[in-house]
Amino acid sequence: MIVNLNKQKKTIFLVFFYLIFLIISLVILDDYGVHIEEKFHRLNGLYWLNYIANLFNFSEVKLITETKISFISDYTLSPVSTYNKYGIILDLPVAILETILDFEDVRNIYYFKHLLSHLIFLASSLAFFKILEKRYRSFYLGMVGALLYITSPRIFGDSFFYKDVLFLSFFMFTIYFFIKSIQKFNYKNLLFLAFFSSICTNLRIFAILIPFILIFIMIIKNFYLKEQFNFLKKIFFYIIFFFLLLYIFWPYLWENPIEKFLELFLTLKDNLINYKIYFNGNFINNRTLPDYYIPVWIFISSPFLITILFFFGFGLCLLRVLKRYFKITDHTKYYDLWRGKNEEYDFIFLIIIIIFFSLFLFLNAPLYNFFCLVYFFNIFIIYFAINFIFRIKNYFNKNDYKYIYTFLTIILVCYNFFALVKTHPFQSFYFNSLISDRVKNNFEGDYHGIATKHFFENILIQDNNKVIKIAVASHTPIQRGVEALPEELRERIRIVGQEYRAADYIYKNNISEVDAYSNKKYQIPKNFYKFDQLKIDGTILYQIFKLKDSN
Amino acid sequence: MKIFFFKSIVILFLFLVAYHYSINHTIKLIKNEIENNFSKESLEIIKIKLREEMKNAINKESYINKEDAILINGFLNKILNDLKIEK
Repeated sequence: MIVNLNKQKKTIFLVFFYLIFLIISLVILDDYGVHIEEKFHRLNGLYWLNYIANLFNFSEVKLITETKISFISDYTLSPVSTYNKYGIILDLPVAILETILDFEDVRNIYYFKHLLSHLIFLASSLAFFKILEKRYRSFYLGMVGALLYITSPRIFGDSFFYKDVLFLSFFMFTIYFFIKSIQKFNYKNLLFLAFFSSICTNLRIFAILIPFILIFIMIIKNFYLKEQFNFLKKIFFYIIFFFLLLYIFWPYLWENPIEKFLELFLTLKDNLINYKIYFNGNFINNRTLPDYYIPVWIFISSPFLITILFFFGFGLCLLRVLKRYFKITDHTKYYDLWRGKNEEYDFIFLIIIIIFFSLFLFLNAPLYNFFCLVYFFNIFIIYFAINFIFRIKNYFNKNDYKYIYTFLTIILVCYNFFALVKTHPFQSFYFNSLISDRVKNNFEGDYHGIATKHFFENILIQDNNKVIKIAVASHTPIQRGVEALPEELRERIRIVGQEYRAADYIYKNNISEVDAYSNKKYQIPKNFYKFDQLKIDGTILYQIFKLKDSN
Repeated sequence: MKIFFFKSIVILFLFLVAYHYSINHTIKLIKNEIENNFSKESLEIIKIKLREEMKNAINKESYINKEDAILINGFLNKILNDLKIEK
């Protein structure tokens, strides 16, 4: 079943493909909850819009933003004036649109943002498709790769919640223009690369490594090309535009760019979260995570077959580069570590993942909330899985068993779709089918409180009281999730924090900033009993405890 | 120059790996040990265990055996004598 269509038909197919995904997204958009950091990000956008309005004397915008900011309150919310280093790439445009479109309900702002985030994610899959199509000269493999990229369960679920998947999306665009720049080192490609890499750096500071990786690869190429002056001129152009665009996109740097930029690195360790996380049945400090933290999370939360294919694809590409390394001589006709354009793609992907993984490993990155900070590794996982599929294809083509390869790709895509449907709308908590229910519940669950919408709806159906008092036995500020409910229902919910004595119900999940085994802060009082729970594919997302005396 | 560049990159990478699995790894182990033994939660566990042990001691007929009691008594008396300062 090898798809061999002409260009026009391919374009129609692609338009149809994305139209289907767009329709699906619009239909399911409302099923997802509101995560606990949405309030902060809305505040972040409005704060910087107010700052810009102040700077350029837009008095009306200033007044609107000040009014909006004054209405955003939450006792657990960090002040934006202190935590003002976050990227504004989505927050600020949404704040502008919020001001222009004048949404009546805050809920609509959040869902509008979810949709934008998901659309950016879908658009990034097109960049991935283009890379794969060019690399393997196969429309079919490009489509399979794009499908696996979109339907990776955790990534798909989180694509509505911006943050880490937003970074993954912009990282995808960056890789696309990174490859284009490496292959055609011209000003146009470098300008696009500067644009997307500066956005990535705005979202996650560790993306500052991209210019260094570009220089590194171009040095290797230049041993062969020997165009030093041209190379230096263009690199200088890229660096200038990278920092210029970073400055433009980041109002935080506007007042004192050099000092504030350096401050980002100097205060990095203090600004990062420092608390206990639940990992493999134990509460461990996130500053001293084991080296296997990322590999374990990737293994348990990615579809098993894709992980295996990645492992082989990555291993074979690494082996090939190592072989080439040991054969380097002073004078060669080819680039030393790869031969031709196809291997160049593999080398770029290989070097980027090795550098970023090493960075997280060597710097003991304080990760939390499973591996969402490195969600962008999924690009590489799928790329190398497709790489191995391509090798299988080549092998079976020679042996006239090409249907095995087609069957394998169909299995992979179908498995992802099945996982998406099975866990909807909680794909963010997907574990692969080899993981037992006991093990699933030994890892961090609903950090972002995505299931709180489901929890509130559940409670409101089961309890007819006018006001329902809910205590929280976890480190999740669930009061922020109330905003996912229609306005008239919000008034019936009253959150009482850890005041268990004042509560009718207690919400509990396994998110705790302290060691919940020894610290009894989140222990359920004896006068409460387990009333209900939400279990998705064996993973408990929350439990409800009810007061024994209450009706 | 080219060979030197490639060798330097590999040596730098190997150095970082060696540093991570020796010094960095040891620092992490020590930090973990400190965290596990002296964190607020660990001290809380010790406090709880002490309380339980004290409760058990009260309920027991004799908590310290006779020989130890004589020894501790003698030792405490000795300390008290030595601490006496003539006014």
